[in-house]
Amino acid sequence: MRVLVRWGVAAAFVASVALIVSSVLASRGAPGAAAEQRAVLLDAPALALDGFARAIEPRTWSFPADHGAHPAFQTEWWYYTGNLATEDGRRFGYQFTIFRRALAPGEHPSASEWRTNQVYMAHFTVTDVAGGAFYQAQRFSRGAAGLAGATTEPRYRVWLDDWAVSARDESAERTAIGARSPDVAVELELRQLKPPALHGRDGLSPKSGEPGNASYYFSLSRLATSGVISIGAEQFSVTGTSWMDHEFGTSALGPDAQGWDWFGLHLDGNRELMVGQIRLVDGGIEPAFGGLLIEADGRTVPLSASEITIEPLRWWTSPHSGAMYPAEWRITVAPGGGAPLTLHIEPLLADQELREGIVYWEGAVRVSGGATGYGYAELTGYHSTMRDRF
Amino acid sequence: MINTAVLRLTRRYIDRRLVQSLLFIAGVALGVAVGVAIDLANGAASRAFALSVNSVTGRATHQIVGSAGSVPTSLYRALRIEAGVRASAPVIESIVRAESLGGRTFRLLGIDPFAEGPFRTYLTADMLAEAGPDGGAGALAFLTEPGAVLISRALAEQANLAPGDTLSLRTRTRGAAVVTIAGFLSPAHEGSASAVNDLMVADIATAQEISGRPGELTRIDLILESDAERAAVEGLLPPGTALVSAAASRSALAQMTDAFELNLRALSLLALLVGVFLIYNTVTFSVVQRRPTLGILRAVGATRQQIFALILAEAVLLGCVGTVIGLGLGIILGSSTVSLVAQTVNDLYFRVQVEQITVPAGTLARGFVIGMGVSVLAAVLPSLEATRTEPAGVMRRSDMERTTQRLLPVVTLGAAALVGVGVLVLQIDTRRLEVSFGGLFMILVGGALLTPAALVVLMRAVAPGMTRGFGVLGRMAPRAITRSLSRTSVAVAALTLAVSAIVGVSVMISSFRQTVSEWLDTTLGADIFISPFAGESNDIPVDVDPAIVSRLERVEGVERVTTVRNVAVLAPDYPDQPPANLVVPSDDITHSARRFAWQRAPGNYWDALRSGQVVVSEPFAFRRGITPENAQITLLTDRGPHTFEVAGVYYDYTTDQGSVMMARTTYDRYWDDPYISAIALDLAPGANLERVLESLQSETLIDTGLRAQSNRALRAGALEVFDRTFAITIALRLLAAIVAFIGILSTLLALQLEHTRQYGVMRANGMTPRQLRAFTLIQTGLMGLAAGLLALPQGIALAVILIDVINVRSFGWSMDLMLSGQPFVQALAVALGAALLAGVYPAWRLSRLVTAQALRSE
Repeated sequence: MRVLVRWGVAAAFVASVALIVSSVLASRGAPGAAAEQRAVLLDAPALALDGFARAIEPRTWSFPADHGAHPAFQTEWWYYTGNLATEDGRRFGYQFTIFRRALAPGEHPSASEWRTNQVYMAHFTVTDVAGGAFYQAQRFSRGAAGLAGATTEPRYRVWLDDWAVSARDESAERTAIGARSPDVAVELELRQLKPPALHGRDGLSPKSGEPGNASYYFSLSRLATSGVISIGAEQFSVTGTSWMDHEFGTSALGPDAQGWDWFGLHLDGNRELMVGQIRLVDGGIEPAFGGLLIEADGRTVPLSASEITIEPLRWWTSPHSGAMYPAEWRITVAPGGGAPLTLHIEPLLADQELREGIVYWEGAVRVSGGATGYGYAELTGYHSTMRDRF
Repeated sequence: MINTAVLRLTRRYIDRRLVQSLLFIAGVALGVAVGVAIDLANGAASRAFALSVNSVTGRATHQIVGSAGSVPTSLYRALRIEAGVRASAPVIESIVRAESLGGRTFRLLGIDPFAEGPFRTYLTADMLAEAGPDGGAGALAFLTEPGAVLISRALAEQANLAPGDTLSLRTRTRGAAVVTIAGFLSPAHEGSASAVNDLMVADIATAQEISGRPGELTRIDLILESDAERAAVEGLLPPGTALVSAAASRSALAQMTDAFELNLRALSLLALLVGVFLIYNTVTFSVVQRRPTLGILRAVGATRQQIFALILAEAVLLGCVGTVIGLGLGIILGSSTVSLVAQTVNDLYFRVQVEQITVPAGTLARGFVIGMGVSVLAAVLPSLEATRTEPAGVMRRSDMERTTQRLLPVVTLGAAALVGVGVLVLQIDTRRLEVSFGGLFMILVGGALLTPAALVVLMRAVAPGMTRGFGVLGRMAPRAITRSLSRTSVAVAALTLAVSAIVGVSVMISSFRQTVSEWLDTTLGADIFISPFAGESNDIPVDVDPAIVSRLERVEGVERVTTVRNVAVLAPDYPDQPPANLVVPSDDITHSARRFAWQRAPGNYWDALRSGQVVVSEPFAFRRGITPENAQITLLTDRGPHTFEVAGVYYDYTTDQGSVMMARTTYDRYWDDPYISAIALDLAPGANLERVLESLQSETLIDTGLRAQSNRALRAGALEVFDRTFAITIALRLLAAIVAFIGILSTLLALQLEHTRQYGVMRANGMTPRQLRAFTLIQTGLMGLAAGLLALPQGIALAVILIDVINVRSFGWSMDLMLSGQPFVQALAVALGAALLAGVYPAWRLSRLVTAQALRSE
């Protein structure tokens, strides 16, 4: 099955790096700075793929080693999202993502501990459903001098400054997430409940018909989560479930992609469902894109595009960016021609739009209908066409 | 108070006495111009410095600096990851020299763009657009391409450089490096454009590769807003690092030039002072000349106040014109002075690049107030004099002279008192240079006021000799001078002042030079000195690999190799002072000849150094109050702060900031720094210096970026810098002489106009034009001679004050007064020459005097 997730965010990340080098150094807060940022973003270069490793054949996975970085590939991310609640039912959502991007293949030999082609970006959000608030922060760092990186030596750890995911044991089945922004902080303990779910063909997830235009992709779809969320001076003890995606490859979006919708849902009966669609400029849907149903016992059932229907029921216009996002869906999946499952999806909070760098919507959602549960949705390409940037 | 009729009189007068008015204007203009020029040059240098410091420190409130100029990268990592200090940025900064740009030096600033946001904001996205057709790629290349640097657009245009062009550099840790221009820096503000001209910005990896060392940063910039944040950071600091306030270190650096600037300013005041005499002279003359008119005015009912106002108004008017011209002239002069000042600042203090001057309103306002103030002040006395004119009572010139003669004892006593007060003021033990300069000026003015009495005595003394030498004319001339004392004494005083300034400053400079030269003889004990290649100004501090030592020891003819390490270290007890220069020789290169101001224990200082003590240079001791009673200094070492005993204070003229000297063995105990900065070689007896130099240059030192110089060449180089330092001083004292020259000229013209009738009588009685000419020249010659002679004691006094008070209090340098005949002969020649030259035009005019007209002019 073909799964394409977040390539756009990752690719736009390169544009952001170009932006940082220029305008982060440049005067800030000047009128027109935002427009300038966008202009630079649109001009960001398409990085050549030459010299990078490509995902062509299925690989032999080895954990926990494969939790670490794969710098031969251009892009990689560790993507944590989760729905948490206090004992009395106050709900929170969080996203903690670290992206890695190689600005150029290989490394120049250097005596400098600062020299690297690896750049890291992190996004951290907290959704306070009852408080009606969405907190977001973004960071960048070079993957050098120990400031950011991903490793399994001696244990799995992926970090950017003091934001980090660190394994609690050798197998990396227990991990901790710690992140803090001026407004919010999370200290979470995660326990892996199912084996890694490999997408596509044994984790080789093609992006189009073109060979090599693929990624290696697995999910830890159910992570029992507990810990503390701090909002300002207030602290909340929370428990819940998280989802982790780890994907790496050297690829680009097709020229006709407009954006995509992605859902990672924890359903009752100990099942998880990932579905998504790439929206094409001509209004169609990319057939190469699909989903994955993970059964209670960890078995995975691939879903092709034709087996998924995603139907927006309502729209929400961002007061910040003016972008109009779908805000309620009916999703129908019919795995392997079996009985169709129809789900009703609603955001827990309308405004979960990230706009620190790339403008997109990523937020906690509630599942009802044929199954119940919570999950995360990601909506890109609604603010502007991202295609030219990648 | 003044009515139009009176004003019209003023205008008529100015019209008629154009030459005199011009001289008045010239006096004011020159005085103002010199002051403004110095002000502008000082201002430009310190502004350039401030801008360039700001462009590098940005908005940092604090910096973490290391014991010997480096901070471990691990500390930065700990700050970000363990302490979560987000407003922190790593910096690797050094000076590099672009060989392909004529040895121009740059501050290479290595930054991490990802941490920069809050700190430095002078770059714009322009670099993207300029970097090439694919802008973003240019920005990414800045990160990914080793050797990618940004330079200022202005500089690039000037040097005709485009993105993609390469520059070859000499750097601190590598002999040579090649960098590629990836784009341009465009400062956000026009004002800071020149500040980035000497800036080269690179990614921190690039900077470390070409001019740093693995694991080491130059510093960490921080924005800390609360005491709690500060305390948190301080808690993380390993030994050998310190948190300093950016503002404090900035001002400590800026203060370095304070004394230098004040000295220049004082010198410029001297020109103004000479100008005061000139103005006084001119106004007095105008009063005397118009006594009949003034008498008539009084008779027809003009009040004393009106007369006073009339004369003062003239002075104000002329002063105004003079001041305005002076301001304009000052700006022109300032642009040429600025490079001189900047050069000296570069030689002595820190690197500044001053491309142009800006003219702050404050400078102009100050110049205007000074010009007008001086005009009015110098005119008040003669204006008061004018009010004493009796109605219709035509007070004659002779009356005026009688008054002068009567006043002579009073003036002389007053002058003596002023000198006495000045001497007392100089006794005040203060660091405030203004006070010392105040005393100096009292003595100078007092000395000038002694001129009339001295002139009378002198003229009486020369009269017999003159009579013998020049006959009747010789007898007449001294008397003519004494008779017009009110006029001649002012001119002579102005000339004396100017010449004594020349004498005083010359004696000071030659004493200083002699002292430095002797100091060089004792200090440069070795035969050959090896140091990094130095261009026009300061050396780039370079870390030389000590491995070179064993190679040098093998060179034939080399008997002993001594190394020196120069680093800047923090002295935590003196946070308002710049870091201390630490000089670390491996052995005594002076062969025990180093001279000391004091030593705690007699004997060879090197023994004290070997036992772990340090010695400090004279300026260092002066600035930090180190005395035999307070003989210790705490330095931040790699092991944390350590207090060293000071074994003595040595004479040293390398820097007015002073240095601390410790033995290499001590240094190695407290610092982890294997590098050396320079090397001295002693040759074996009988070794051929030229041959050794040749073999060093062509073999041992090839591709090391080091260069060998003979003792003699280094010595000459040092003196060259010395001479360059005083170029501006020499220029300034010349200006004082020009002002004085104008003074003499104006006096002579005035005298001549006054005595037109007398000359007519002399001509009528049979004196030839030739004789008249001779008479004038003898007079002026006598005045010049008098000025020259009077300038000698005053010049010596000035030199003594400069050497023993001003220099010591400004820079902490002591030097021996060296008197040689040359400056005195020179002074006499200048005084005589100026006077005679000033006499040429009046003499020429006199000789064309038509007797009848002259007589009629009554």
